[in-house]
Amino acid sequence: MSIAPQLLRGPSLMAEILLSEAEKAFIHHGDDLRCDGRTRLDYRPIILETGLVSNASGSSRLRLANSDVLVGVKVELASPLSEKPLEGRLEFFVDCSANATPEFEGRGGEDLANEICRFLQMSYMSGDTINLSELSVLAGQQCWVLYVDILILECGGNLYDTVSLAVKSALYTTQIPSIKVATMDGDQPELELSEDPYDTKRLNTQNVPCLVTLMKIGNHYLVDPTPEEECCSSSGVVVAVSGSKKITAVRKIGSGSLHPESLVSMLKTASEVGAVVNKILMKKLLEEETAGKTQKVGFMR
Amino acid sequence: MPVDSRRLQGPESAFSYTLLEKKDANAEESILSADLQKMLIDSNHVRKDKRKPTDARPLFLRTGIISQAKGSAYIEQGNTKLVCGVYGPREVQKKSDFRLNGQLFCEFKFAPFSCQKRRSHQQDNEELVLSGLLREALEAAVCLHHFPKAQVEVNIMVIENDGSPLAAALTCASLALASASIPMYDLVIGAAVRQLPKLLLLDPTKDEEWQPKLNHDENNSNLTVGFMPSMQQICAYVHEGVSNPEELEQMLKIVTEYCLKVQPVVQLCLKETVEKMLASEGENNDAE
Amino acid sequence: MTSYENSTNTESKCIISTPGQRLCLAEDKYIGGVGTYTRQGYIMSCLAGIVKITAQPDKRILVEVRSGKEQTVVPSAGDIVTARITQVNPRWARCAILCVKEMVLAEPFRGQLRKEDVRATEKDRVEMYKCFRPNDIILARVLSLGDAHSYVLSTAENELGVVIAYSEEGTPMVPVGWQEMQCPKTYVKEMRKVAKVSPEIISNENNKEAAN
Repeated sequence: MSIAPQLLRGPSLMAEILLSEAEKAFIHHGDDLRCDGRTRLDYRPIILETGLVSNASGSSRLRLANSDVLVGVKVELASPLSEKPLEGRLEFFVDCSANATPEFEGRGGEDLANEICRFLQMSYMSGDTINLSELSVLAGQQCWVLYVDILILECGGNLYDTVSLAVKSALYTTQIPSIKVATMDGDQPELELSEDPYDTKRLNTQNVPCLVTLMKIGNHYLVDPTPEEECCSSSGVVVAVSGSKKITAVRKIGSGSLHPESLVSMLKTASEVGAVVNKILMKKLLEEETAGKTQKVGFMR
Repeated sequence: MPVDSRRLQGPESAFSYTLLEKKDANAEESILSADLQKMLIDSNHVRKDKRKPTDARPLFLRTGIISQAKGSAYIEQGNTKLVCGVYGPREVQKKSDFRLNGQLFCEFKFAPFSCQKRRSHQQDNEELVLSGLLREALEAAVCLHHFPKAQVEVNIMVIENDGSPLAAALTCASLALASASIPMYDLVIGAAVRQLPKLLLLDPTKDEEWQPKLNHDENNSNLTVGFMPSMQQICAYVHEGVSNPEELEQMLKIVTEYCLKVQPVVQLCLKETVEKMLASEGENNDAE
Repeated sequence: MTSYENSTNTESKCIISTPGQRLCLAEDKYIGGVGTYTRQGYIMSCLAGIVKITAQPDKRILVEVRSGKEQTVVPSAGDIVTARITQVNPRWARCAILCVKEMVLAEPFRGQLRKEDVRATEKDRVEMYKCFRPNDIILARVLSLGDAHSYVLSTAENELGVVIAYSEEGTPMVPVGWQEMQCPKTYVKEMRKVAKVSPEIISNENNKEAAN
């Protein structure tokens, strides 16, 4: 298998990282052992906390190595799209603030933000992942819109995975108030909000996909690349894997190319890894919920 | 890209009349996948446009249609029609993205009347994403180190969208780049496939393309691939919908086989381009 | 892998290649020239054009691909370029690069000529206004790719400098020394960093003018 002969350039918007020849050689040709002691299919430690933002309907903060992401979900009522009168919708917005990395200053982070947004939308689109008809309040007239705002506090590589895990956790904790359609006053329906603030429903997030980024380096591929590893790779794939191990969206990233065989094997690995990540995440979220809130850790720590 | 922001956008509240037509067919939302399959294909495994599942639509290619551009190409894949113009290498316009290596600038645009729903004149989110995908795919194929500090512009205009526009754009762009004498490692051939629960449809039309719908998304998906046939490399890969890795492998196989079939067609078109150029050069020399 | 190595055009008796097509083995005998690259031990084409095979003096064979169109050219370090001065100030002159070697560019690239690079000797005594005026056509060498704004040029050679300049009256001037040019109509002398144009360069220049 030949590496595309152009100069290798990291696919993400990471700042140019200076690497010596020896470091590059280790990343390219090293055995199943990476600079930080992981094997190729290991993630770095993840710190996750939910319910941090009191004004949001659901929120989470996730830190994966040096990437720190805060997600807040706001639920609002709106009229459904004319093409889909029976469904509510999810709106994603990624904010790559200039705080995270100097690269994002001005409009620098916009492209990356758009890319992440669009890919999340793509992977949530199929009915298998999240049931959007649950969000319908009154067919054709009122529905819930979930605004998922993703704030990138610190950018340390592997943003796709970090963001998707944080979004899933935030959606898991999202409380949607109960609303009743009361008397039809003429043609105008009247919506009645439940008086009990704890009378809420939750979304089924069992099947919400997690994104797994696999970078191709030399003749092998690895998950959760560090910025140094991203620098050494010219191409990879981001795979959205739902809770049931199905692939809901894939796209190639980076300016390099891949051999069909290696691509297929990457997809298979991604679906395995994604299923495990999904399972562990759901387990941890449940643990946090049942343990009850003792004290908040807070973000940026 | 400069955008005419003063252009009248038309009333926001306007919507296509076709939505009214569908009102009574709300049931369509919950069609079972088996029914969907029946809608797209009849009992003899023939599609609506008389194709077999593994048949692609007829392909028409032509180069040199824009006289002002360094290179240009036009592609017709059934009713999907698009033009590509290649300009440069020229100076990088945006100073901020200075890079010593050459760069590609890709713009993917749907004509306002190209789809069923009217498109805006400004690039929307989907078009931006398609531009990015096109750029990443072509970057793998173009020898960027041949034009340091400069950029080559690739503009795609979709005149009519009847499914698989990205696949057609990939083929068209690589043809235009080659006709513009921009050095490339290999041609890029685009192809798309639609997955139904028990069937794969090559080169789907707009009606056959996967749409996010409720309840029947198990094993339903769309895949677009950019393939470099002689290097045996994939430079674009976009998948939407729900599938297993094994199914994706099958889909990839069908698509790459199709790309290998298209390669000679593109090569032939390029050869004709070169021959035409030689002939006109010969005439010029005779005239002198 | 499909390859079209034998698809010769009977009419013009030449081989036309397309990008990614395998041309020949990359052995000692063959050298890949313009329009080719080497991959996995083969010389491959990276252009759509005619395959040109020429025997070298050292008995090796040069394989090239020439496309009918003008080559894709951008200025690179060491190239002689033709440029038009657009702006002059005490420290530098701005110019638009019009041609690289013999090739005319479709669109100009920006170049910058610093005071220190105008001539090889007495660098500190250069006065920009006595060397260049806007609209002069100069020959220069590309020193480096420079920054995001422009290429860095130099005229610090006898053969480089102003080749075409118009007097204030508007007639093309003739050089009367390496620092002066004279208007044939008004006989007014103007200061320039004049290029010593050797005959073969002049013939090239004429071609270029014709091409322009």
